[in-house]
Amino acid sequence: MALLKPFSKLPCLNTANILLVESEEQFQQSLADTLVEETAFTVNVRLAKSLPLPMENEESRPRIDLVVFIINLTSELSFQSAEVSLKNLDPGYFLGKVCFMVTNARNASVPTERLDAVRKLAASLHCPMLFAEDQTPDGVTNATERLLTILKVAAGFVPMATALYLSNLTRRTAPPDIEQPSFD
Amino acid sequence: MDDSTKRLLQRLIRRIPAQTLRTTLEKWGRLTAAQQRSMDFTQPKWALSEKLLAICEENGLTAKHITELEMTNVIDNPNQGMWYAFQLMDPEDDANSIELTQFKEQFKSHLRELVRPVSIKIKKHTDEAVWIRIAWGDSFSRPNHLKPTYVVHHLQTPYVFVTSLTSKQKPLLSQALVLSARYQAIKDANLSGRKLTAIRDLLMRKYQQVFPTMYPSPLGERNQVVSNPHIEKEQAEPAANRLQMACEAFGDGTLPQLQTVVYKLETKFRDHTNKTMTEREEPFSCVVKFASTNLLESLRHCASSGIASTPVTPLLSSILQKGRNYFVITDNGSGPSTQTRQPQT
Amino acid sequence: MICVLFSSAARTPTNSVVVERRSKSSKSYRQSYRSCVGAASRLCFTPGFTARRLNASRRAPKSHNVTDKVNPQQLALLMKTEWQLSYVTPLYQFRHTQLKSYSRQLSAFIAAEKQQGLAVEVEGAQSSFRVSISVVQGMVEADDDAETVLIQIHSKLLFAKKDEPQRPVWSGWLTCINGNPDYLRSLPEDFTCLPLFCSSGGEGLTAVVKSWFQQTFDCCFGTLEINHTSLQWLAALWTNCHAESSIQHLKMIWTLPVAPPLQVTYTVDPHDAWQLWSSVRKDPREESKGGEEAEEENSIDIEEVMEFMQGLKGHFYRHFRLDLSAGSLKQVTTALGSAKYSGKIKISNSRYMITTFTLLTECALLKMPL
Repeated sequence: MALLKPFSKLPCLNTANILLVESEEQFQQSLADTLVEETAFTVNVRLAKSLPLPMENEESRPRIDLVVFIINLTSELSFQSAEVSLKNLDPGYFLGKVCFMVTNARNASVPTERLDAVRKLAASLHCPMLFAEDQTPDGVTNATERLLTILKVAAGFVPMATALYLSNLTRRTAPPDIEQPSFD
Repeated sequence: MDDSTKRLLQRLIRRIPAQTLRTTLEKWGRLTAAQQRSMDFTQPKWALSEKLLAICEENGLTAKHITELEMTNVIDNPNQGMWYAFQLMDPEDDANSIELTQFKEQFKSHLRELVRPVSIKIKKHTDEAVWIRIAWGDSFSRPNHLKPTYVVHHLQTPYVFVTSLTSKQKPLLSQALVLSARYQAIKDANLSGRKLTAIRDLLMRKYQQVFPTMYPSPLGERNQVVSNPHIEKEQAEPAANRLQMACEAFGDGTLPQLQTVVYKLETKFRDHTNKTMTEREEPFSCVVKFASTNLLESLRHCASSGIASTPVTPLLSSILQKGRNYFVITDNGSGPSTQTRQPQT
Repeated sequence: MICVLFSSAARTPTNSVVVERRSKSSKSYRQSYRSCVGAASRLCFTPGFTARRLNASRRAPKSHNVTDKVNPQQLALLMKTEWQLSYVTPLYQFRHTQLKSYSRQLSAFIAAEKQQGLAVEVEGAQSSFRVSISVVQGMVEADDDAETVLIQIHSKLLFAKKDEPQRPVWSGWLTCINGNPDYLRSLPEDFTCLPLFCSSGGEGLTAVVKSWFQQTFDCCFGTLEINHTSLQWLAALWTNCHAESSIQHLKMIWTLPVAPPLQVTYTVDPHDAWQLWSSVRKDPREESKGGEEAEEENSIDIEEVMEFMQGLKGHFYRHFRLDLSAGSLKQVTTALGSAKYSGKIKISNSRYMITTFTLLTECALLKMPL
């Protein structure tokens, strides 16, 4: 199956396309419902469980402006699935068109190693990482707003800003407490 | 009324759920209309129990009548206690044409031959099920009404459901059943649960079965959620396939409320990354128990959401196909079907 | 150097690298950790005195005969009860010598709270509570640990006979076992660190005791859950003990996030579990190099724990095609004890108590917001 490529298709007028990838297929549905309510421009949401995407939809699929990986920290499988999906994405996307969204970060059952692993992953790929709360409508709305901000830039609606430029500002850097220098 | 009968009545009142007490008493029919009206069902159970005791004494009711009340209660609330399913094997020629009266007489006479004294009550329920209540006694004591065994048999089917049976009583009951139902043997069906309705529906396949088809009909028709045209699922087809396979394995619609399934695994450990363990001769023994308020629905959801890979492994789909919830898995396939499990009292 | 040992995305290193890594890290582990703490305070972000993550490697438990050091009667009080865990921040001006006076103060406090109408569950007509606070001598491991303190609340019946044995209606204890020495030494003079608080009894009394501690010693309590990694550690550590004292079974309970929720209880035969565990242990004898041996003795790495759990999950997957990683581990039980994700722990065998509580003390120190 072909990799998803960022610039292989023409953009549509006043339309932004976002792909939400989530192994559990839960949060993406509520996010999608809120995302399409945006009125300033048309938002098309594509939902997937994992990558690669089926070949059959290749023709009808529009150009994807932003790929969001939703990772639920309470499930190990969620993170593993996202890691595998990442391999099926064209490297061109990592110049500002990929974003990580993490839920349940405050849950007590989450071992710190998992959160650190996600942060490291995001840092190594130079992608922004957003924390979201998926249980309340307010949480969904907040997450949607932040996604829309990034989506607008990625789809080219914001003059003088490109996705690459924005990603330089928002990308997750390796936090200092993970890699402590050793003073041996 | 003697003490044991009083105790029986008191225990029974405690057990009958408060909501159904009034209707159960009405069905019992041993109270006059006036007496029925005089019972105040808003009082706490112990007060009602005293009142009822007084009324029963007034009416001169005996243990026999109390056991009728118990039976009515159990028939109306069958989902209490632990039920075990058995299957009759090798029918004789006339097994399918057994009539109720014939069965009743035969059963009573056979059981009375084997056990004396014993108190047997047989009642036919509206849905073709024959309910049998047995209070066991022996040469030293009268029938013990505090620990009765209940048996449910659907005539013309080989299935029997039993609750509260001790291992000593089991061969006696088996013998009586086999002879009166005109079969040659009886075996443990390896199916048990708290809800009689659930295990009965499972064994008799009273759920919506889905059969594998060459050209699956679009399941999308059923789940017609009005979706926004701007939202599109990329992997709708794989999702539909998963749902189809999940339904094939676990049925569609409302499923019988089975609660647990237990697998006793005695297979070899096979892992190519771990040489030491793979080279072991002995099997890796462990016991896996799945539990849920509605097990089949949980498993179906596991399969349709991808947590369990589809096609569903035969270990899980056997629950519905074979109508069992206890399996012993060895390397040569499932364990023998005559695997006995001791029903607890 | 901490991240080197446990990164969850790491591949299993080849043997030689492991040798090098482990010997280097065991020596440098302690040094760099200390320097990390030091460095942290020099850099501008919030200095974390407490570690950010659990130890990636810990010493294998040997059958510590705790009964040697601790009075068996007191030990019996700590065992076979299910304790609810909380973490406690260091106590200010707590003196082990003033326990009698603390008992009196706590009794008075409870009586006052009762008068105010605070609901404390009482059975029958009990007039007052008698509190006894004592030290469990010997229930420590490292030199820096403070002594364990046991609190018991007995109910005083109005017309109780003199010799009637009273069972406590509430018990609790504060402990610190193998607490991080750097952290303990870095605390200012008047602070005593007893980070782990175990309670058993009614909610009302627990709340009263906690609020008395908060008022008297200016500390904070918080719920302590045993997270997924710690439960896996306990599963591995307890299985490791099978050679010396049979664990009878290794029972793990997972829940899967489906509707309705599905609970999977996976009970493994102890001998088979132990064989699986030994097969994933890296053989320490391979790297024995003279003097290094003493230090290397029986240390268990997180990778071994992960491999063990992966082996168990893999066996499950081969039969049911169901990946347990999709769910969460909620409980681990063996003959040595049982641990639940909600923060409940029960110890059934005193021999490995120290190791279990070392792990829990670490969890408490981790979760403490200081």
